Amino acid sequence: MDRAIQQTDYDAFSCKICAISKMYLPSSKELEFCGMRGFSELHMAYAQQLKGLNRRAYGKVQTAIRQGQPLMNYGTYLRTLIVDIECKSFLENAANENSKIQILNLGCGSDLRMLFFLNQYPQLTWIDLDFAESVSLKAKILKKNEQFRNTLGEPQGADDTEYISDRYLLKSCNLNHTQKVLDILLESSVPEVPTLVITECVLCYMDLSQSQALIDNVVSFYETGTWVSYDPIGGNEADDRFGAIMQANLWESRQLELPTLMFFNSVEKYAQRFEDETKHTQIETVWQYYIQQIPQEEKNRLKSLQFLDEIEELKLILSHYVHSKSSW
Amino acid sequence: MKLDETIALLRQGKHVSEETVFELCLRAQELLMNEANVTHVDTPVTICGDIHGQLHDLLTLFDKSGGVENNKYIFLGDFVDRGFYSLESFLLLLTYKLRYPDRVTMIRGNHETRQITKVYGFYDEIVRKYGNSNVWRYCCEVFDYLSLGAIINGRVFCVHGGLSPDVTTINQIRAIDRKQEVPHEGAMCDLLWSDPDEVSTWSLSPRGAGFLFGKNEVDQFLHTNDFELIARAHQLVMEGYKEMFDGGLVTVWSAPNYCYRCGNVAAVLRIEDTLDRNYMIFEAVPAQDDVGNAIIPSKKPQMDYFL
Repeated sequence: MDRAIQQTDYDAFSCKICAISKMYLPSSKELEFCGMRGFSELHMAYAQQLKGLNRRAYGKVQTAIRQGQPLMNYGTYLRTLIVDIECKSFLENAANENSKIQILNLGCGSDLRMLFFLNQYPQLTWIDLDFAESVSLKAKILKKNEQFRNTLGEPQGADDTEYISDRYLLKSCNLNHTQKVLDILLESSVPEVPTLVITECVLCYMDLSQSQALIDNVVSFYETGTWVSYDPIGGNEADDRFGAIMQANLWESRQLELPTLMFFNSVEKYAQRFEDETKHTQIETVWQYYIQQIPQEEKNRLKSLQFLDEIEELKLILSHYVHSKSSW
Repeated sequence: MKLDETIALLRQGKHVSEETVFELCLRAQELLMNEANVTHVDTPVTICGDIHGQLHDLLTLFDKSGGVENNKYIFLGDFVDRGFYSLESFLLLLTYKLRYPDRVTMIRGNHETRQITKVYGFYDEIVRKYGNSNVWRYCCEVFDYLSLGAIINGRVFCVHGGLSPDVTTINQIRAIDRKQEVPHEGAMCDLLWSDPDEVSTWSLSPRGAGFLFGKNEVDQFLHTNDFELIARAHQLVMEGYKEMFDGGLVTVWSAPNYCYRCGNVAAVLRIEDTLDRNYMIFEAVPAQDDVGNAIIPSKKPQMDYFL
């Protein structure tokens, strides 16, 4: 089961590389507002290193690029943009020259956001946590490339399975073991420092009790923070079969389970993961985000990239993914 | 060639030789070449929407609606792409048409083009099944000959997508030189790409081709041509069909559980001699039977969710 979850990282990364190769990413928002210079080059450099280290994962990248499904590119573009903008907005709001800030990416996989934001904010510390296999592969790739090392800071110690520098920490950790997560946080981060926590398609793979324990404990650990989450929701079973079919398809094709998909099945229910008297939660579906937040000019740019054959399908699918933000 | 044998093979999703496909396509082209851009069909007839390579669901469609042995059908296009059996679905319809020429009308959809099939799966399917793209080329040549619309009893206009600002009368469709790859703009493109919507006039389509049109455009088109209904496909409808504009337009969708993940039902529309409309709703074939054997074998890597 852990392996099935770990493999989803390669799907996410492949989709991102595909969206880059078809010019969906980076958007002008990423380049200009988020300051993510070298977006394509750094992602492509990472993909090239992957080729030498994990041929199977690289095969997935190639397949994704070859298929280049417009719907997948739209969704990948939106999910990437949403989290990129949240990172930048958090950093802009929380940063001033003297005080430190932290970003904690739980279930980081091959995500490379730290490269772009560590560069811009010298007072930022970034912690990436994921399964041992993902972390060890990522550490190897990051260490191999001088450009990556320059941004992240020279790695300390001889341990090849992690990456630890003054400002960047990439460590293996099963998120189901909340105590282990807290041990790492205690050792490597400061509870008083404002912290952004990211879970991008992570909570959906965890059991109800374990995901809630993770949220509750991490939230209590930091004095102030923001939690940004992106996940699928199942929809109301009575008149919507999307979630049940998604569970069946993913189980049959790759033994991947989404234990809480039908429990946190609506935006209201999903927000309950984060709701108590101390937190303020905003949540929207990715379809709402696309309709309301993407300017017409940018929508026109997207539709010029590939013919999108089915808007109704895009709406259906994007309506089953949510973006939530909770602050405390 | 023995058409009945080919039909039996196709219905089982079995491999059909490159030579057979070549001959089928050649014969189909000869047949289609003589069809007008807009063909005339008499009632009773069953109108079917997008199929998208869902062969097993197409078989259900025929089973539940009486079958081509006894009934007339109009298919509104989008035979290929997205599903795992684009080739078999398209060839089955083509073979039926050769076998029962007056019972099957096939209208071109926006997926029946070289450019779109390279993106949405049909091209890849052919290369996977044959090791080269010859069969894809044969099929694309047939696509160029498919008609653009049909008229039932002079009263119901059938088209894949919708209306075009360049088309006021049916004669303007008749004047199109259709035997080509679908252009990126103009009347032929719009007929295959446009969508109805709650708009007051022609508007830009979010798809990147065709237009959005509203009740005004539909009412005017119906009035000018003395029609009572536009039957079109092209858009996923969770309930299988959707009437709009006081019943002046209907969308018919015939791919249940579209892409094996959307959870929708499908429909076909039977137009009776009285022009009464009878909708038949049907569900997707399950991926496995009761004892867990695959009905729809799939070798496609699962990249269809954001994970």
